[in-house]
Amino acid sequence: MSAVIEAIGLTRSFATGVALDGLTLDVQPGEVLALLGPNGAGKTTTVRLLNGVLLADSGEARVLGLDPRTDGDEIRRRTGVLTENAGLDERLTARENLLFAARIRGLSSSHAQQRVDELLGRFGMFDRANDQVQGFSTGQRKRLGLARALLHDPEVLFLDEPTSGLDPAATRDVVELIGSLATEHGRTVIVCTHFLSEAGRLAHRMAVLHRGRLQAFGRPDELAATLWDGLEADVDTGAPVDDRTLALLHDVDGVTTAVASASGAHLRVRDRDALAVVVATLVGREVPVYSAIPHTPTLEDVYFAIEEKFT
Amino acid sequence: MNWPAIRAVMAKDLTAVRRSKAVVLPMLLVPVLLLVVLPLVIGIAARSQDHFDLSRFLDNIPGDLARPILALPQREQLIVLVNGYLLAPLFLIVPLMVSAVLAADAFAGEKERKTLESLLHLPLADRDLFVAKLLTAYVPALLVSWIGFVCFAIVSNTVAWPVMHRIFIPTKLWGVMIFWVAPAVAALGLSVMVRVSARARTSQEANQLGGAVILPLIFLAVGQATGLLLVDIKIAISIGALIWVIALWLCSRGARRFTRDQLATRL
Repeated sequence: MSAVIEAIGLTRSFATGVALDGLTLDVQPGEVLALLGPNGAGKTTTVRLLNGVLLADSGEARVLGLDPRTDGDEIRRRTGVLTENAGLDERLTARENLLFAARIRGLSSSHAQQRVDELLGRFGMFDRANDQVQGFSTGQRKRLGLARALLHDPEVLFLDEPTSGLDPAATRDVVELIGSLATEHGRTVIVCTHFLSEAGRLAHRMAVLHRGRLQAFGRPDELAATLWDGLEADVDTGAPVDDRTLALLHDVDGVTTAVASASGAHLRVRDRDALAVVVATLVGREVPVYSAIPHTPTLEDVYFAIEEKFT
Repeated sequence: MNWPAIRAVMAKDLTAVRRSKAVVLPMLLVPVLLLVVLPLVIGIAARSQDHFDLSRFLDNIPGDLARPILALPQREQLIVLVNGYLLAPLFLIVPLMVSAVLAADAFAGEKERKTLESLLHLPLADRDLFVAKLLTAYVPALLVSWIGFVCFAIVSNTVAWPVMHRIFIPTKLWGVMIFWVAPAVAALGLSVMVRVSARARTSQEANQLGGAVILPLIFLAVGQATGLLLVDIKIAISIGALIWVIALWLCSRGARRFTRDQLATRL
């Protein structure tokens, strides 16, 4: 299946310097990609370039098979974007903001009304529909911004900090919504976020940008394998292991390091098979083993390890 | 041209403007003062006094223009001089100010309110967005000017009726001002703001930067009041033509620079 988004060597500079330097990546249909990096890393520039809002100095991109340089309007017709600040007109009501976007997107008047009502209800904003946005909280604005991005049922969704300012319940709802858009509706989603736990729950792959350069791109487990040898694990023996047991652990094939911990030992092993050998060895020496838990690095672990490499 | 989208942008911007007192009040206050209060005061003054001695002022203005006023009965001279001649250049402040204020709100205001980026992410061609923003400022400027003039004509003729006993506004000069010079001046205010708004971060900053555009009108009004330059029909047509040329030149340059990439670069 061909990629929904392809970028090859995408580069853009401003008077202040290079904002994006040779970005090459692809996003597959139905995939959720987390675009990560500190402020000024080039995430927003990437979204703008892929939507044809900014033009690349060099490099190429294809979004839904279209070139953002020449087919920007057609791309924007088929994508939805939630910008970091929702970008709503404060002097208009919630409904007027959505109806405006619907009219620009060419929805008929009756379809627009119906769709706006549906989305206002879905995002719990129906009772504020006729209030001016200037009195809204950050969370309400964000929900309204999301509703606007989904008005035309876009094939690709770009979400810049979709959950910042949301309370925990609203955050959970938005995360579930993004997940369902990808899994149930086959939409492709690019999420720029600082909230790594959400990115970890949602994203199939992650792209880490730092000062405009792509530092890492892939599945978190793939990237973890390039960063660390083996995996960490905790073995619970009910009490800190003694020196004799520690020496025994060191002798097991596949154990890289072993140190005593409050409830047993903390190990780094080559892989999960090595951990099984550790358990068998301890049980064979009549050391009680209550649990042996391998710790697969999370997206957050991977991100910080990558960040550490480049700062 | 995507006219439904252009109309949508205009409707959105004008709805928002209508709800902004800071924008609406000066737009209404100046026309009311110039086009209602001033002719009312002049009319009442002319009715309450037997005569005003305008001979010193009329001596200073060119004879071709002074003669028709001097030929009028003395009680009519003040009304015809002020409402028929002196107010004409001042009237141009109305289209200029309305178009400039609305253009600053439409162009720089989007940046100030942080709504520009979400607008740029909509499927709306650069040209359509530019036209929509121009019309958002230009159409109301003309409407306010023309409606203001109708009010001015009604107030002037009504208040001065006991003195004049005839409808004396509109004059030919006013006709040229309304249908030729005022549209040009509105276009000038707009085109200056388009250029200024590209650099300004807020509508207030744009208004300050673009405020200098009002200076030529003040010179014109002072020239008219002191008799240094009295605008007759020929001069009004020439001034209108010059302003149109400048406004269209500025607008075409503004259009060339009005691209998504340029706008997004300054976000």
